[in-house]
Amino acid sequence: MTTLTIALSKGRILEDSLPLLAKIGLKPAGDIGRLLRVPTNHPNISLLIIRPADVPTFVEYGAADMGITGKDVLMEHGGEALYEPLDLGIARCRLSIAQKKDAPPHDGIRRLRVATKYLELTRRHYAAKGQQVEMIKLYGSMELAPLVGLADVIVDLVDTGNTLKANGLIETEIITQISARMVVNKASMKTKHAMVQDWLDRLSGVVERG
Amino acid sequence: MSTKRWMLPDGMEESLPPFSWQLEDLRRKLLDHYRAAGYELILPPLLEHLDTLLTGAAQDLERQTFKLTDPASGRLLGIRADITPQAARIAARRYADVPLVRLCYLGTVLRTQPDSLGGTRSPRQVGCEIFGEENLSADLEILSMMLKTLELAGVADVHLDLGHVGVYRAIAARLKLDEEEESALFDILQRKSLPDFAEFAKARRMQPRVAKLLSELIQLNGDISVIARAREVLASAGDEVMQALDVLEQSATELQRKFKKLPIHIDLAELRGYRYQTGMVYAAFVPGHGRELARGGRYDGVGHEFGVARPATGFSADINELLRLGAATNAAPAKKAVAKKAKKVVSKKKR
Repeated sequence: MTTLTIALSKGRILEDSLPLLAKIGLKPAGDIGRLLRVPTNHPNISLLIIRPADVPTFVEYGAADMGITGKDVLMEHGGEALYEPLDLGIARCRLSIAQKKDAPPHDGIRRLRVATKYLELTRRHYAAKGQQVEMIKLYGSMELAPLVGLADVIVDLVDTGNTLKANGLIETEIITQISARMVVNKASMKTKHAMVQDWLDRLSGVVERG
Repeated sequence: MSTKRWMLPDGMEESLPPFSWQLEDLRRKLLDHYRAAGYELILPPLLEHLDTLLTGAAQDLERQTFKLTDPASGRLLGIRADITPQAARIAARRYADVPLVRLCYLGTVLRTQPDSLGGTRSPRQVGCEIFGEENLSADLEILSMMLKTLELAGVADVHLDLGHVGVYRAIAARLKLDEEEESALFDILQRKSLPDFAEFAKARRMQPRVAKLLSELIQLNGDISVIARAREVLASAGDEVMQALDVLEQSATELQRKFKKLPIHIDLAELRGYRYQTGMVYAAFVPGHGRELARGGRYDGVGHEFGVARPATGFSADINELLRLGAATNAAPAKKAVAKKAKKVVSKKKR
């Protein structure tokens, strides 16, 4: 029997993924809050519940055949090792640059300091503009960096913009719109094609219908 | 900070018993098979002048090649990252007056970057190449050699992926993209990212008809019926595309006849080696292993830098990887045999 393993991203993406999967008749059959590997109502399909940033790695190595993760994670991961056939249209937000509301314009002499967890993406974005910047890697609470003088600007995900506003920051540029994507392992696409394609078709059916 | 002196650099492999013996056994089996099939063995040097290693077709290898300067001549040298260009050089120089050349090789190459996360940087490359035959028969012969190589290594449950770079090349040629756009589109196709393609087509104001062709192309993968579907949806794409589909159909039919149990997957958007391949391309996969195990295809026109351009087709694989995957399937019996032999040796010594 051909089996299928699907890696899901913990957190907000998971909350949005489960209703979508339920629509195509795929439901977890176990404690999704505690188990890391969850069986489903289909005996040959299991789910892995992992951090969004780990999804590309699991799928690339073939530890999972398919996975759901944010476009931000995929852009930061880079490379051509995965197929990304489907935009699920869930967990929508944007990747933006923000700075202190009352910050004076950057003098252009000193290198701009950017706090972010997306080093690759940020480097590429500024390089495309012909600007070399100094990057500071942070893992969370980006909004703090400009307030305490650690960085001039931040590059981070923005959903409603409320956190920025509450901390006196304004969004100055939208780098790209973000949503969750379905990714597929290249070998699985070729060796389990019928099964993978069937689930992809079902998903794209419910995504298009909205 | 003290360095651990026994540690090897990332991605450098060494083979120790019992693996080293298995590797040697496999090496002999493969070379015997190639020899019986009429392939000449070549053993090119580890180091060559960099420009020779990177001629024409091999431009992609620039980033992958370790470099150093030759104190004797002051010229830049490269450690080979791929034996194929060396084989092309030998075919063009040593066998210039031989119309049809079959070469095989087996040796370690070094790469500055692993192909996958945490992967090897020192694959032991094995491969076969045919120079001077443009007929499909050569591609099918090389394909059989590739499948036989996997079989001899004990790799089971092989799936074959077939594609043809001519399809994309013909469609992309109409778009008149600049280099940056071309590389962006190529990247999108490699990821089969329909959403990113939609965005790309919109941003470039691509003609809806061409955009439709490309988005169909991204989805043209699956069993052999894909070829028939491609004839329909790519009907307006021109003769070159139809010829490429003919080649694929003929190959698939022939392969199905010859290897009855071999699962064949067609993928028209698979552009592995696009920059130097010119025709049919293929790769072998096994379930649960994320990357291809062996790859090959046609690269006509090779060798013109060395004075003799001719059609060529070939395959290559990493024998270390083949053995690892093959051993996983046959591990149990092999271990027993070794243990038995070891016992025998001990008892002989006692006597």
